[in-house]
Amino acid sequence: MTELLAGRTPGMTLFAAVVCAAASLWLLLPRGQGGRTERVSRWLGGLLGVAALVGLASTGRRLGGLGEESVFLVVSIVAVVSGAATVVCRSPVYAAIWFALALAGVAGVLLVLGAQFLGVATIVVYAGAILVMFLFVLMLAQPAGLAPYDRVSNEPLLSAVTGAVLLGLLTLAIGRMSAGPPICCRMPSKAAALAGTEPTTSPASAASDALAADHVARLGAELFGRHLLAVEAAGLLLLVALVGSIAIVSRGAADAGTAGGRAAT
Amino acid sequence: MNALLPSLPTIVALVKIGLLVGGLMTAAAYLVLVERWMAAWVQDRKGPNRVGVPLTKIRLFGLGQPLADGLKIILKEDFTPRHVDKVLYTAAPLVILAASLAIFAAIPFGSALPPIPALGLTGEEPLLVAPGLDVGVLWVFALSSIAVYGVLLGGWASNNKYGFLGGLRSSAQLVAYEIPLGLGLLGVVLAAGSLKLDAIMGAQADSGVWYAFAQPLGFVVFLVASFAEAARLPFDLPEAEQELVGGYHTEYSGIKLLLFLVAEFLHMVTAAFLIVIMFLGGWHLWGVTGSGAVETWTVALLRFGVLSAKIFAVILFFMLVRWSWPRFRFDQLMNLAWKVMLPLGLVNLVTVAAVEEFRPQVTAALGAGWARALALALPWGVFVLGWLAAGLLTPSGTDNTPIRTHGPLDVEHELVEV
Repeated sequence: MTELLAGRTPGMTLFAAVVCAAASLWLLLPRGQGGRTERVSRWLGGLLGVAALVGLASTGRRLGGLGEESVFLVVSIVAVVSGAATVVCRSPVYAAIWFALALAGVAGVLLVLGAQFLGVATIVVYAGAILVMFLFVLMLAQPAGLAPYDRVSNEPLLSAVTGAVLLGLLTLAIGRMSAGPPICCRMPSKAAALAGTEPTTSPASAASDALAADHVARLGAELFGRHLLAVEAAGLLLLVALVGSIAIVSRGAADAGTAGGRAAT
Repeated sequence: MNALLPSLPTIVALVKIGLLVGGLMTAAAYLVLVERWMAAWVQDRKGPNRVGVPLTKIRLFGLGQPLADGLKIILKEDFTPRHVDKVLYTAAPLVILAASLAIFAAIPFGSALPPIPALGLTGEEPLLVAPGLDVGVLWVFALSSIAVYGVLLGGWASNNKYGFLGGLRSSAQLVAYEIPLGLGLLGVVLAAGSLKLDAIMGAQADSGVWYAFAQPLGFVVFLVASFAEAARLPFDLPEAEQELVGGYHTEYSGIKLLLFLVAEFLHMVTAAFLIVIMFLGGWHLWGVTGSGAVETWTVALLRFGVLSAKIFAVILFFMLVRWSWPRFRFDQLMNLAWKVMLPLGLVNLVTVAAVEEFRPQVTAALGAGWARALALALPWGVFVLGWLAAGLLTPSGTDNTPIRTHGPLDVEHELVEV
């Protein structure tokens, strides 16, 4: 394993890391053996997972300054590890909490990359609204403990392999795409090119563009200019969903009301 | 410069964080003392006035009380019941405190400092931890929604009926009042045209009209919602010891309870900051602070002083309200959020949007003076109408008689029917 990890070509390293990730996920996913076997497989899976992380990180490129890079490393490792923990965890409530942490990591990555609005909106929408509803349901649904079918994962081998293959393909694709300057400088310049303001390609101007003062104003102009129809359609969809849910609730209340009325008469 | 040494912006940010966290924690401790004095004054008794310098007889008006309180609660036994989920039980107070401190990354605590060439600061230095954050208001909103996790997890991890029900109750309250809070924020953001809190203060200073005067309805909605988000009376169901056996922190003791209480207190301080910054002009005071860039230290200190004084006044208002209102019942609380505050917030948002949309046309047609008068008159008219409508159309929310869907005798009918 060590000579594979220290492989000469980046492709070998990536392959080894992906294999490690698949094995680690398979070992970590709850398969309901219990006892000592389970403990050993968890430890082994954790170690392999760390190896996979190191391998994947070593295939990446330097981002720039030391501070930026360390912050990026911390938040991305938080995101990846908590993402893995989300699927591996046995208790649904813990899985939801790990998911929240993964979202926080992703939001941190977005903030490092200069996509402030996306980063904060991720927290507001996912962690602040959707996941809280999940938690409500999870806590209310199983007050007496876990159901047995929640403790084992379905098809651990297939899902581990699929996940690892997806991971390798994405890493390869993104690595090829970002052959030029590091990603942190590319994304905002692409956004600016889309907005049609300034099709710049030089990293310096792109980096300053990422921290432009009117970040949100530009995003708003883009959303309500070019993508106005999509925004309106999404708003309409949400409105329909809201009206529908209220209709369902009020029908339930009306049924209960008529039942009560019958009882009273 | 050595690559391993932190750069100047990093050092400046660290110094600001240190000052802010230190100042907030000290202020929280002494605000508890102020709150107890206020309680004593309202109830016509003396309040804490004994603790002074330790081991001497110097009393100092009770100024040693926060230290004694803090030591006492830290040294108390940190008891963890056996039936709790230990990891989440420990994590919950940390989450809520971390979120309530991290909010202050985007909240300015003054205007700015003039350039200090001796330290290498050539530009004006904003008194804000993260001045580059263009989405300050959203950041505040995001982290205040993270506080729900602490409440929910604390209640669930306690593995106790009272704690769990308390957690659900207060997280429902927090989630419900986030909507009027957001609507109040949106009105201000729309009028100021920026999501940065310092830019919002600057806009109020430039025009000289605080948003509390320009958007009275939004101000009331935001004020009520921030009382509810901070879980202060009359919305303190999360921690109602008397009739609801506490709330999500029923099982907590010692330093973990202290973390929860400090976080609650910081929520109130945050709410006071936001009310002042967004609606009461921030550091601006007519004829005193001026507007625009900070050139001298006098202006910088004046603005800092004005902002602090306003925040202190709002906190005193919070404390006075605590002893003036009885607690809401849960259905009244929810009725207020969904049937009163949400429609009023929407009405305010539409009014602000209309004012901002037609301001250029009105200015072109009638002149700047008339445009300004109309921009003030329209929101106040809407405010009066909205207030009247809310008062006339929703009387049942203030009715304190118990709601009975069945009369006392109907039970027998039901039994017969079944």
